[in-house]
Amino acid sequence: MDINKRKRELVNEFSPMLEKTSIVSKLWIVALIAIILVGLYAFYLQLMNGHKITGMRDNVVWGIYIINFIFFVGISYSGAFITGVLHFFKGSWKHAIARIVKIITVLSLIIGPLFILLCIGRLDRLHYLFMYPRIQSPITWDIIAIMTDLIGCFIYLYLTFIPDFAILRDTENLKVPNWQKKVYKVLAIGYQDTASQRERLQKITEIMSVMIIAMAIVAYTVLAWIFSLTLQPGWNSTIFAPYFIIAGLYSGVGVIIISMYLIRKTFKLEKYIRKIHFIGAGIVLLVISILFGYFTFSEYFAKWFSHKTNDVELLDTLFSRYFWEFILANYIGVLVPIAILFFKKLRTIRSITFAAVIAVLGLWLNRYLIVIPTLETPYIPIQDTRPEFVFYTATWIEYALSFAGIAAFILFFKLIMKFVPIIPMSGIIDQERCEEKRKKGTTEQVQ
Amino acid sequence: MKNNKPSESSSNRRKFLKLGLISSATVLTGTSLFSNFVNEEKQTGSGEKMRVLTPEGKIVEVDASNINKYPEALITPAESRKGIPNRKFVMVIDLAKCKNARKCVEGCQNAHQLDYNEEFIKVQLIQDNKEADPYWFPKPCFHCDSPPCVTVCPTGATFKRDDNIVLVDAERCIGCKFCVTSCPYSARIFNWGHKDKFKNTTIPYSPETGVPATEGTIMKCDFCPDMLRQGKLPHCAQSCPMGVIYFGDINEDIVTNGEETVRFSKLIKERAGYRHLEHLGTKPNVYYLPAVNRQFPLERGFDVDEDIIERYKNVDYVKELKKQGKI
Amino acid sequence: MERNLLKYPFITSIVIVLFFSNATFAQENDVTNYRMGFNFSTTKQFDNSRLLEVSFIATNKKNRKDKVPVFNTEVKFYNVLNEEELLLGTVNTSKEGIAQLILPENQNYLTDDEGNINLIALFEGSDTLEAETAEIRVKDLHLELNLTEIDSVKTALVSAFTIDKLGEKIPAEDVEISFYIQAMLSKMIIEEGSISDGGYEFKFPTDIPGDVNDDLFVFAMVVDNDEYGNVTQSETAKWGIFHKHIMKEENSLWSAVAPLWMYTVLTIMLVGVWANYVYTIINLIKIKKEGDELKLKI
Repeated sequence: MDINKRKRELVNEFSPMLEKTSIVSKLWIVALIAIILVGLYAFYLQLMNGHKITGMRDNVVWGIYIINFIFFVGISYSGAFITGVLHFFKGSWKHAIARIVKIITVLSLIIGPLFILLCIGRLDRLHYLFMYPRIQSPITWDIIAIMTDLIGCFIYLYLTFIPDFAILRDTENLKVPNWQKKVYKVLAIGYQDTASQRERLQKITEIMSVMIIAMAIVAYTVLAWIFSLTLQPGWNSTIFAPYFIIAGLYSGVGVIIISMYLIRKTFKLEKYIRKIHFIGAGIVLLVISILFGYFTFSEYFAKWFSHKTNDVELLDTLFSRYFWEFILANYIGVLVPIAILFFKKLRTIRSITFAAVIAVLGLWLNRYLIVIPTLETPYIPIQDTRPEFVFYTATWIEYALSFAGIAAFILFFKLIMKFVPIIPMSGIIDQERCEEKRKKGTTEQVQ
Repeated sequence: MKNNKPSESSSNRRKFLKLGLISSATVLTGTSLFSNFVNEEKQTGSGEKMRVLTPEGKIVEVDASNINKYPEALITPAESRKGIPNRKFVMVIDLAKCKNARKCVEGCQNAHQLDYNEEFIKVQLIQDNKEADPYWFPKPCFHCDSPPCVTVCPTGATFKRDDNIVLVDAERCIGCKFCVTSCPYSARIFNWGHKDKFKNTTIPYSPETGVPATEGTIMKCDFCPDMLRQGKLPHCAQSCPMGVIYFGDINEDIVTNGEETVRFSKLIKERAGYRHLEHLGTKPNVYYLPAVNRQFPLERGFDVDEDIIERYKNVDYVKELKKQGKI
Repeated sequence: MERNLLKYPFITSIVIVLFFSNATFAQENDVTNYRMGFNFSTTKQFDNSRLLEVSFIATNKKNRKDKVPVFNTEVKFYNVLNEEELLLGTVNTSKEGIAQLILPENQNYLTDDEGNINLIALFEGSDTLEAETAEIRVKDLHLELNLTEIDSVKTALVSAFTIDKLGEKIPAEDVEISFYIQAMLSKMIIEEGSISDGGYEFKFPTDIPGDVNDDLFVFAMVVDNDEYGNVTQSETAKWGIFHKHIMKEENSLWSAVAPLWMYTVLTIMLVGVWANYVYTIINLIKIKKEGDELKLKI
């Protein structure tokens, strides 16, 4: 196989994604920017007026911002985990979705911590976290974990971009702006696809994959410990760390499936993102949803069975004030995906995506039910007449900023897709090279 | 003359009634305007005022000189991390004497320039079980020996001193509110929005007084170290009319409520002193004496504003009273 | 008069407003509603000086909790004997309504045959306030406090006596006395008794911590005695058994410095991760170098 010819073919196939922007795409970008602007206005109001324009008050001091934080960071960590694991699989199918997963990882890890910043009372003192850190505090651990993980995932993503940048740099008639071509040249760091360069790149990618898996697990545990190392009823649980990992994987796989569906549809990539991907992801989602349901059930069943006073109060709140949210999150959010994914006949691309949507929404509600009801049922009863101090109701500011975060996520995703083809061309070439070698009967395995 | 008199008297009556109406209307507006003026004065003054009688027989208001003679050398945030040497402060609250007078709440709010709803010491109504009578439960910060709030603070803005006091340095606090979620006794409060009192620059800030407060930071009961340095009881203990709050030093083994001074160890042993939620392992430094042989019937405590009684509407006893129509 | 008033309803209504507005304030400002309290007391202090104190406070007749101290009024203290008057001093009342005069130990008093000192406190009055006067009669009690070990038992001894005209010591009888220990914020009572035959002694409690140097400050006080007024005496002894509650000074979760193992674990983990990053970047640089070399060759 003539590698250069193959490269040119792939570039011809994927360059329209980089060169052209359809009208629909442009409209989308405008809409997303509008949502982000509304969010920025809400942020400005919050800066000017203080946090009292949110729904948070002295008992429920953490609201939707923290929920969005753990939701997005959970997606990111699960993306990192899945990326690392995917690397060790052999097969042509993994290339199509590898880059999607990596991009989701990095973007969520940028958007998530932004939500935490919204929750901090004195943003002008953020540098104190670095000047006077206390390493006994779970928040310090979380900051270290997020920063380390962000840099790691970024480097890892970049490693996979290098060969593609090299191919794009070598393409003569690419119809992209000149500054973009210059960027390709710089970022490709002189990669000429020689055997030694390829080998070196693959070696460091492999080591990073192992590191990414380990970091994802540690960072995720640290995030769960922010809750489970306190004394609060509902939070002080021994299984919070593995529970959060499974829950993150649940939402992560769900977001991956939704992204696959949307990208496949928008760019007509049926050749690359095939049904087998959806079925594979669907089966993973099935397994994780069973595990997730198992963990959730363990949590609440033990509380109900041993009926400690504070646990009973918490369950009362969950089943009275939050009854429908509980049903949606922990019954429908678990059982519907299981039902859809369990039966072979029901596994179509559409239905699997639908199951993923239910999973993601259910998980967000599950995070809500973990954070808020505990803060509403402290050890010492809240004896206050002001309703906003007794119950938490989010205001439009918080919702506006949540949607702005989601819009930012989608917008950045779109912009990256205009910069780099979403299917790694070098991955396809590597795969074909590998198959050729196998056909030729050599034992040299290039992964 | 005879004919004129009746008409004169009726017109006089009419005039008198008119006078009465006009004067009552002006009285109402006048006093409301005047009282607003007087109230405004009280709020803008920085020191406390007291009323005295002058030799000329007039009652005037002067600056109260002895209310808070905090040392001229202000205890800066850096110095406030070291405690008062050789002391280990402890508080004992006698639940048998508390009748919800709320003077402790008011005294603390006055001293720390708090708003009506901001309470460093809260008086809760706790009913341990359905059979028991509820009791009034003044709850300051417990200044625990194993404080979960200090453990989780990422910048070290809250710290435990050698004299047992846990303070908040509002110049270091970044407002992450992790300490609020980790305190099992809900002792901490957060400054949510702008307030004029934050701009008060006449008093330099010290974590020992907590005044002026800062937006976006945490504040809580601080055992009034500024009072302790002057040899005075904290404001809540001073204000309580029933002598419910005892305060002292474990090293000396003596606590006092302003009138009685007793051995701390003897008090706890004889009156079965306990700490709230002991099993959580926080090792609080506020001991409670059980509500046995109460000095006052419980109903005496409901002699407060209705919005305060509304707070306790979830207590079973209060629900019963409401059903019986007694409240 | 009535007719004139009614002729000008507006002006009279203003007058009525002013009259009412005074009365509707929650706090009284009218002196006639207050009853004057002029209390005179005397204390012989532990350095044998004598304190004369007047507390001049007005109480609201209708609301006994509303007390207003009288400020900056002149109070004169006299020592009288029959017709002789000796002005001891003049003091102005403070913002708390207290006027205090301290007379040194060597002050000579006019005493009558029984040894009583007659003291009068006088407020001469002003245009609006009536004159006030109060009189007390005390005998000068000498109080001595000793803290010694008798037969290795820690004992507190008190001797109380008056000195008559001939210089003879007359032991005091039937005087109630209390003993206190000084604590940080107040005094704690340790013993109460009655002086008989000029003396009182009791076994001193041995379980009191005292201050950090094991010092105990002991006070003996006679309070509000008919004959002697207030008398205090104090003494210090190193009888405390202070044991500092030594909290183990180990690094814990809540101390400023964390336990050592936390630093160790964190460093190991971070070094491991960042070493990997550095290794990756070094390899990327090597790739770049190779690419550049190839370019040069071409």
